[in-house]
Amino acid sequence: MMPPAAVTPSATRRAQAGKYLTFFLANEEYGLEILKVHEIIGMLPITRVPRTPLFVRGLINLRGKVIPIIDLRQRFGMSREGAEDSCVIVVQVHGTQLGVVVDKVSEVLSIAEADIEPTPSFGVDVSTEYLLGLAKSDGKVRLLLDIDRVLTASEFDSVQAVAGVEG
Amino acid sequence: MPSYSLNDLAARLIASEATSEDHRDILELLRVLSADPSLPEGVCALMGDALVRWNSTLVDERARATLELQSVVVAAQNRLELRERLAHVLDDAPAQAAAPAAPAALLPPDSDLSLLGDFIAESRELLEMAEAGLLALENDPDDVEAINTVFRAFHTVKGTSAFLALDYLTEFAHHSESILSRARDREIRCTGGYADLALRSLDMIRSILDAIQNAVDGRGDFLPAAYDRLLAVVREPEAAGISGVSVGAVTLPAIDAGETALGGQDLGTQRRRSTDRAGESTVRVRTDALDRLIEMVGELVIAESMISQDPLVRQGGHLELNRKVAHTEKIVRELQDLSMAMRMVPLKAPFQKVARLVRDLGSRSGKRVEFVAVGEETEIDRNMVEFLGDPLVHMVRNSVDHGIELPADRRAAGKPEHGTVRLSAYHASGNVVVELRDDGRGLDRDKIVRKAIQQGLIASAEGMVDSEVYDLIFAPGFSTAEKVTDVSGRGVGMDVVRRNIEALRGRVEIQSRAGEGTTFLVRLPLTLAITDGMLVRVGAERYIVPTLNIHLSFRPPRSTLSTVAGKGEIVMLRDEVLPLVRLHQLFGVSDAKEDPTEALLMVVGDGAQRTALLVDELLGQYHVVAKTLGDGLGRVQGISGGAILGDGRVGLILDVNELLSLARHVDAGDPHHSPARAVA
Repeated sequence: MMPPAAVTPSATRRAQAGKYLTFFLANEEYGLEILKVHEIIGMLPITRVPRTPLFVRGLINLRGKVIPIIDLRQRFGMSREGAEDSCVIVVQVHGTQLGVVVDKVSEVLSIAEADIEPTPSFGVDVSTEYLLGLAKSDGKVRLLLDIDRVLTASEFDSVQAVAGVEG
Repeated sequence: MPSYSLNDLAARLIASEATSEDHRDILELLRVLSADPSLPEGVCALMGDALVRWNSTLVDERARATLELQSVVVAAQNRLELRERLAHVLDDAPAQAAAPAAPAALLPPDSDLSLLGDFIAESRELLEMAEAGLLALENDPDDVEAINTVFRAFHTVKGTSAFLALDYLTEFAHHSESILSRARDREIRCTGGYADLALRSLDMIRSILDAIQNAVDGRGDFLPAAYDRLLAVVREPEAAGISGVSVGAVTLPAIDAGETALGGQDLGTQRRRSTDRAGESTVRVRTDALDRLIEMVGELVIAESMISQDPLVRQGGHLELNRKVAHTEKIVRELQDLSMAMRMVPLKAPFQKVARLVRDLGSRSGKRVEFVAVGEETEIDRNMVEFLGDPLVHMVRNSVDHGIELPADRRAAGKPEHGTVRLSAYHASGNVVVELRDDGRGLDRDKIVRKAIQQGLIASAEGMVDSEVYDLIFAPGFSTAEKVTDVSGRGVGMDVVRRNIEALRGRVEIQSRAGEGTTFLVRLPLTLAITDGMLVRVGAERYIVPTLNIHLSFRPPRSTLSTVAGKGEIVMLRDEVLPLVRLHQLFGVSDAKEDPTEALLMVVGDGAQRTALLVDELLGQYHVVAKTLGDGLGRVQGISGGAILGDGRVGLILDVNELLSLARHVDAGDPHHSPARAVA
């Protein structure tokens, strides 16, 4: 049963058991469904795109294809302090490829159904809408990302509109 | 023998993990199914083929073979379903089944889908030729060449459809053909009602082809709604009141002939030339394969330029290497030109659609319109043709519905009763220009201004030159029509024109004179695959500005710069006053040159939009392969796409029109504050 405090919209997906690619942002370890991951590449020169929100780092040339690069730290409103930017995880979201900058890629992990817990509510200050759930194993907690939600175009448009008004 | 169904096989395939055990089970299933007497022959044959192939599948190919077999099973299931549906209808309505006009299913149960696809593509081409022929016939009913073309087209469609057992199509084409054969034998003349009927039959055959395509794609299995009604008319046209008497049909003297036609020359030879085009030896290539080829050549061009711009090559000292690189470069450029030429198609098809449209619009509104087409052999990237269709339709509607007057009004104005709509295309300075001119009443400036104020588009027209007023008709939702007609007046349309043409990186202009007519001028790049652009530097950033948008660039002397009311910057160029827009400010680039006298101004935009854009310097002219920024980024204002530059980095291609409207909005708000974020 979901705790009543966790106000999750009905459209929210729940995390499923399976293989996850885990990576670090600052001290937090995140998990990404392995089926969404296309490849992991090293840093490439990035072309900045004007009039886009801060979390859009720009564009890279991935073997002749232009793909946008998203800074997950900025996306989640985390500080850039100590960011290593060591690599880019290329993901496939709604048929398009996007790169996300992370500090460090960790491992591929099998997560069992029993280890997955729904995202608890942290009150209004912490947004949990990008999480599918939490996975606990080996005494560690990993945050399972709903990458589709993190990177959907409609989200971008609204963020862009807000950025335009505020700027 | 155990009894299995196709469903068992399908289920087994889904569960398969390509092990030996799976392999053996599937083999067994196939063996049983291929010999199952309860299955239709076609399905058994399919299973038999699959059995042979499966037997010879090597171990490491099994995974792929499983996928292939899955699609075979789907095809077999489709056939079974069709067969069942057909049997169902036959049982239910034996009386109806006897009548050929009561079709059960569009596709015969064992049709060859790839044959059907070819048939549909070929028939569409034939129908296009037939349509041109019919329009020519209406103008000159004795044109033997034209009637033969039309007859042959219908006849071929009929013959092939009979071979493919597409009975409804055969039936319909047969009766349509009879009308044409009567025309060929001079029994009737293909004018007025007959011409209308022939054109409508042609549309019906097109609709049936669409329906067949739908059925092939599994999106329903329906005949076009009006099939039975029109079939009855085609069977006995006279009984339905059809005759050769003209019902105000539009005259169409010169679809192919163009200008010379106005001189009243014999058009026969020219028309014949255009129908003979099919004589060239051609080969059919899938469009996606062609697109991929051109894309790859684009990549090759970029890869090659990376090599030729490599410091190792440029620094010299390697004479032999330089020679080889230069040679490669030459070959690559030629390859690029050649591959582009393969995708160029003449504007004939959209022009023909316009010819038909003018005819239909004219006869519906009781106007007499003559259509003249010039330069339909002008070539353009085939990927652009489909985007050109909609704007052309809307412009033509505007011309016929709003522009051309009723015959009585024209006579009163001292003009010939026939209005003329003239569509021409030609190449000019590396662009394709499409021009649509009518000799109607011209745009009514006062009326446009009145409506625009009414709709809140502008506050007043004070100080607006005519071209700016005319531009208002491209605003979304704008319409001057007093009443909504079938043809126009809903206020959608002209905004589509501008949007589509700008999406093609083109420009559209209007020229108009009261009482004399209106001209739409559309300028388009030859192709979208390669953008001709100027690479400019702004601070540490580099942008590509499409050459089509740049009029000139200059470094302004200090004396020509000034500000208006302390904020809006302007620059004098000869006798012209241009607003000055700082690209670095608009895009939030921090380390750019701030002093225009040390930087460079580029004059971009048309008419009222003409603006001087401040950049640091020009880095040179480049051909780049334009790519989208991807859906992931959404729409970025002022940027139309990206391109890989010679050094392997991504460069941004500017959308000048959007950029300028962006600049205006920024000015209207707070001119000293750019909404763009500063570079970190």
